[in-house]
Amino acid sequence: MKTSAKAMGLGCCPCCHKVVKMQAETQQCPRCHRSFSVRKINSLSHTFAWTIAALVMLVPANLYPMMIYYTLGQPEASTILEGIATFIQFGMYPVAIVIFIASFVVPLAKIIGLFILMYHAKRASKLTVKQQGQLYHIVEFLGPWSMLDVFVVAIMAAVVNLGFLSSIEAAKGITYFGLMVVFTMLAAESFDARLLWDAQDQKPQTDDSQSQLNQAGSR
Amino acid sequence: MAKPAASLNNIVVCRRCDAVLSKPKIEPGQKATCPGCSALLYELKKNPMERTMAVSLAGLLLFFPAILLPMIGVSAAGTHNEASLIDCIIILLNTDYHIVAFIVFLFTIAIPIVHLLAAFYIAVAVHFNKISQSLLVFFRSYHVLDSWTMLHVFFLGVVVSIYKIVDLAELTVGGGLMSFVLLLICSTLVSVTLDHHYVWEKMEQALED
Repeated sequence: MKTSAKAMGLGCCPCCHKVVKMQAETQQCPRCHRSFSVRKINSLSHTFAWTIAALVMLVPANLYPMMIYYTLGQPEASTILEGIATFIQFGMYPVAIVIFIASFVVPLAKIIGLFILMYHAKRASKLTVKQQGQLYHIVEFLGPWSMLDVFVVAIMAAVVNLGFLSSIEAAKGITYFGLMVVFTMLAAESFDARLLWDAQDQKPQTDDSQSQLNQAGSR
Repeated sequence: MAKPAASLNNIVVCRRCDAVLSKPKIEPGQKATCPGCSALLYELKKNPMERTMAVSLAGLLLFFPAILLPMIGVSAAGTHNEASLIDCIIILLNTDYHIVAFIVFLFTIAIPIVHLLAAFYIAVAVHFNKISQSLLVFFRSYHVLDSWTMLHVFFLGVVVSIYKIVDLAELTVGGGLMSFVLLLICSTLVSVTLDHHYVWEKMEQALED
């Protein structure tokens, strides 16, 4: 079993990574002067709140159209899924796949992933902690990529502006979608991945190799 | 391991799994990883300050053409229109999408510019040994902003838009896009060249005296 810094009364500054001996629950880092605590305070409640906010935004983001396309004065609004369906109709599979993954699969997967992580931070699970850590890493990494659709609509609305012939305008759904992405990113940021290891450590240990010294590897 | 106070400088703590580890000795160009969760502990980089200075200065200079010059344009039946990154934001503002305009501005202009500026200032100050308290604020903001730069996502957005427009009308690519690609490369290189571990240790030494 590894030695956790929390058990030794040590803290690691989240900003400059200096190892400090914790005198109080919250204290200032001597190196970068940022105040921090052993674990992010109320990490789970914050993550939960942001995730719920993101979930609420997900509904209007998918129901309202993302952009309105005018051809010869005829407006045609399309939601995320309708937009993807149009691409498939016209045989533009690569774009359809990219948009489907970035604006539908990833946001949904991120929210589900966050719920899984929050659930396991409370109790040890069948998933190994390493897998959960990887899950967190994926959720964190995917964060910005969902912003793709917002940028695409912004570019299209600015570029495709040929008067009566054809033009594109942003529509209601884009605001909700943008906020949803920001909320999931804030949720991932407020989650303290070390809680997963804390939950694991509380589980009764079968092996008693506690005295084993941790050795950092280099590559 | 029992008396941590005496040897705090010889240990590292994994930020992901909170394991306490003895600090490995590594050479510039090597990385130390956590044996438990394989997270990166820290790494040492080659010539970190000189490289960061060059790359971030180049990035800052490229910012102006990247956001002001037109990126892509379309023309069909005699009409022509082109737009730069700034135009995208202005049009969103004009159509009353203030929140979206703000999000786009924040993630593609404001945060990347502060990020590059902070990296440049830190590299210059550390290289010429002019370390002051204000540098701490800059380097802290650099860390906070790191995960919020979305230049790479915006670039993918441009690529997707080009793919969408190709079938719609005739497409032209402007100088803005070229500058943007170069800016993206610079901004990515900064996070590769800037050595956090090195900067913090330097700052700690300088501010203690």
